[in-house]
Amino acid sequence: MRLDVLPILSTLRRHRLTATLLVLQIALTCAIVSNAIFLIGDRLGWMTTPTGVAEDRLMRIVVSDIGRRGDIHARAQADLAELRGLPGVEAATIGNSLPFSGTTWNSDVSRSPVQGAPATAVTLYYGEGLAELLGSRLVAGRFFRSDEYAWLDDHLQGKAPGPTVTLITRDLATRLFGDGDPLGRTLYMHGDVLRVVGVLERLPGAAGFTRDRANDSIVLPWRMVPASGGGYIVRAREGETQKALVDAVKALKRLDPRRVIVSARTYPAIRARFFADDRATAVTLAAVSIALLVITALGIVGLASFWVGQRRRQIGIRRALGASRKDILRYFQTENFLLASMGIGLGMVLAYGINIVLMREYELPGLPLVYLPVGAAILWALGQAAVLAPALRAASVPPVVATRG
Amino acid sequence: MLKMTHLAKVYRTEVVETYALRDFNIDVKEGEFVAVTGPSGSGKTTFLTIAGLLETFTGGHYHLDGVEVSQLDDNARSRIRNEKIGFIFQAFNLIPDLNVFDNVEVPLRYRGMKAAERKQRIMDALERVGLASRAKHYPAELSGGQQQRVAIARALAGSPRLLLADEPTGNLDTQMARGVMELLEEIHREGATIVMVTHDPELAARAQRNVHVIDGQVVDLAEEPRFHAHAQAAHS
Repeated sequence: MRLDVLPILSTLRRHRLTATLLVLQIALTCAIVSNAIFLIGDRLGWMTTPTGVAEDRLMRIVVSDIGRRGDIHARAQADLAELRGLPGVEAATIGNSLPFSGTTWNSDVSRSPVQGAPATAVTLYYGEGLAELLGSRLVAGRFFRSDEYAWLDDHLQGKAPGPTVTLITRDLATRLFGDGDPLGRTLYMHGDVLRVVGVLERLPGAAGFTRDRANDSIVLPWRMVPASGGGYIVRAREGETQKALVDAVKALKRLDPRRVIVSARTYPAIRARFFADDRATAVTLAAVSIALLVITALGIVGLASFWVGQRRRQIGIRRALGASRKDILRYFQTENFLLASMGIGLGMVLAYGINIVLMREYELPGLPLVYLPVGAAILWALGQAAVLAPALRAASVPPVVATRG
Repeated sequence: MLKMTHLAKVYRTEVVETYALRDFNIDVKEGEFVAVTGPSGSGKTTFLTIAGLLETFTGGHYHLDGVEVSQLDDNARSRIRNEKIGFIFQAFNLIPDLNVFDNVEVPLRYRGMKAAERKQRIMDALERVGLASRAKHYPAELSGGQQQRVAIARALAGSPRLLLADEPTGNLDTQMARGVMELLEEIHREGATIVMVTHDPELAARAQRNVHVIDGQVVDLAEEPRFHAHAQAAHS
């Protein structure tokens, strides 16, 4: 294969302005697209964070009981019994939250009872049988026994003691106890002394404040009522989620027509709402990247077409001197490859510069090196695709043009 | 070396057919220096473009160095142009973005020649035309005569079997034209086959043989008294 690199560089030096403008356009596109791809990947990675729960079968119904008095525990149990009796429902409980639902209950736990000792922020999950209902996988120990549960509202009114056992996630166990066995270890949480009885594979927090600590969660054995901030969390049978949601809302309204249904959503809908901003950001970045790539491609097509027109006689001379059509095609492809490479080289430096600014100003993560060759490959491919039509036009210039212009 | 028999070249439009060459016959032997003359529009340049495989023809036969070229595909024609034919154009046809060295190198690159051999051939060719010291100059920095010498160096560098020259002195003043012509004669003396298209009887007279073209056909000079007289006047 004959590559005319040096003569092409010599030619480009004599068309410095137009070549430089195209190189700068490619560099800017490379820098922005590399960062955009990274940010889109980052958002998509976050949006697809696994929860370890049976997402397709879960739903949450939040109600507001207006002016109700009486035995709230009995009413809650009656509601749950009704829900569990619905044909499409597999399990139901009243819990405080779901992963990535936005409704978060937080605290911090410490390995030491001493006030001021290092503590770890955690998301709290409450609800009788919540972890089992969600489908969280137990990797060590056990779930709560029924005798370990107590009513949260009783505790808040001073009628019941605090919890004594807890389930923690594997990530949190590693963070707190390293490689040691977390089962039977003790955690301290604002006066409560909690013994770890089980370890869950994962259970991301409801708000996902920090991604590297997304799974720093614990489950406490509280029974809840709607009045203490709980919502009905229902697990449907396979393929019956939508129907179960409608039936559950009807059942709750039937049991108490005065109750207000604040929200009733399937878990996929809850999760989609939580990640709506991330999705919008990713879509915007993708649209901007595509627009930039299209503009750059048009720039390449435009300049290559201009050069083909301008060099028509030169192409004829080359053909007359023995260049085949392939040689002419390769000439323009090589020229584009060189311009793209210069732009990409500059673009990589620019990409890092932009990333440093983003890291400093917006606390975004650092750009991993792998994104630079990805950006480069896209720009190279784009360049070759964009130059193909003008290069084919150039290759079709007949050699007789050398004599007739 | 170059033999055309009953060759025809027709340019067709929707309404008219124009014969640029009709029943065109010519036989150029190896080592000959032939001048092709004729009035404007007679078909001289069409003959040269077909002889140089820059254009296809419509009918007849053309054998170049023993090969019937009508059946060759585009790649094979490119290869023959590159390896067997050297072109010298009236407008020099140097590539303005390349310096003298790179211009002479163009056909050698398409031959896939190694860099060291290319360099040797380029410098030899430039030496021969007296422009070795101008290797790094661009065409725009040279006079017309020097540009044509570069074009000749480019044609010579590939050691072609056949040199085709289209009005090689047409854009030059008398002194420069004389220099270029002397160079062509020297190249011919060294054994090259040269076919030169010209409308200048004085130049034509310096060739070994003249072929006159009128209305796309080779005509016998003896039957063309006007030309005969004109040519004689040019000789005297």
